Amino acid sequence: MGKVQTFTNNQLTIDVADEERTITVHFLGKSILRDPNEFVMPILLRTLGEAIPARKRIVMNFRDLAYMNSSTLTPVIKILERARVGEGQVTVEYRKSLKWQDISFSALVIFQTPDGRIVIEGTD
Amino acid sequence: MGEGGEGRVSPELELRVTSDWSEVGRVNQEVSGFLSASGLSPEGVDKYTMVVCELVENGIKYGHFGGGRDTVNVRVWISGTTISVLVSNPVGNYTQTYLSELDRTIQWVRGFQAPFEAYIARMKAISREPLDIDKSGLGLVRITYEGQALLDFYLDENDTLSVSAVSNLE
Repeated sequence: MGKVQTFTNNQLTIDVADEERTITVHFLGKSILRDPNEFVMPILLRTLGEAIPARKRIVMNFRDLAYMNSSTLTPVIKILERARVGEGQVTVEYRKSLKWQDISFSALVIFQTPDGRIVIEGTD
Repeated sequence: MGEGGEGRVSPELELRVTSDWSEVGRVNQEVSGFLSASGLSPEGVDKYTMVVCELVENGIKYGHFGGGRDTVNVRVWISGTTISVLVSNPVGNYTQTYLSELDRTIQWVRGFQAPFEAYIARMKAISREPLDIDKSGLGLVRITYEGQALLDFYLDENDTLSVSAVSNLE
């Protein structure tokens, strides 16, 4: 297990685990932040900035997120697009058996790339 | 609890919420508890809690508070197979831009054959916006897509904006 950094704001915790081939960004709790751009975006941008030169895949794991407001999806969408048009490799993991997660995250499939760099993955 | 037709009691929740953002967490918890107690499935609880919270977030963000008009009022009620949400907040002159945007967004969503198409279109638009723009405009679209709700609003003579979301329970 590599280095893990934990960031907490209100009811949302984000664990960033830097490992040999991946950097996992694990979202836990509830995201009801007024401005996720101030908290979530810097974490994701920094992670993308570290992952690309190291040729690591970012795994955004939302499986343990109990609630998320729509504003929280904004930085996720922008990072996915940035990775898509650049050289980033990102996997979004969500819990398919949770209907709200399935509906919210499966729509991100529009950012998926045929070469497998961007993957949207719902699992039970 | 309110009185339904033929003496039935319709589940109803009313909340008064201050403009403090931490209130969103309380709303999330109370609405979720109310919907569970009303017999909704876990999926329904998640779905309509989201609808209420997104509307309350907008009420707090864009409301004009002061002069004794300091709350966002929330009403959620279930009648037969319909669940209705009404979120009201005071507005002022500077919130006119928001009202125009609200109207435009609702009309824009109605222009799509399916809310899913609006949701995808909004996500694509967000992806092209600069990183420092923090406004998503996704909340109302999400209410129609994920919440499968019909959105509407009205402004009364006291400058109180009421936004409603009505869905059929699955």
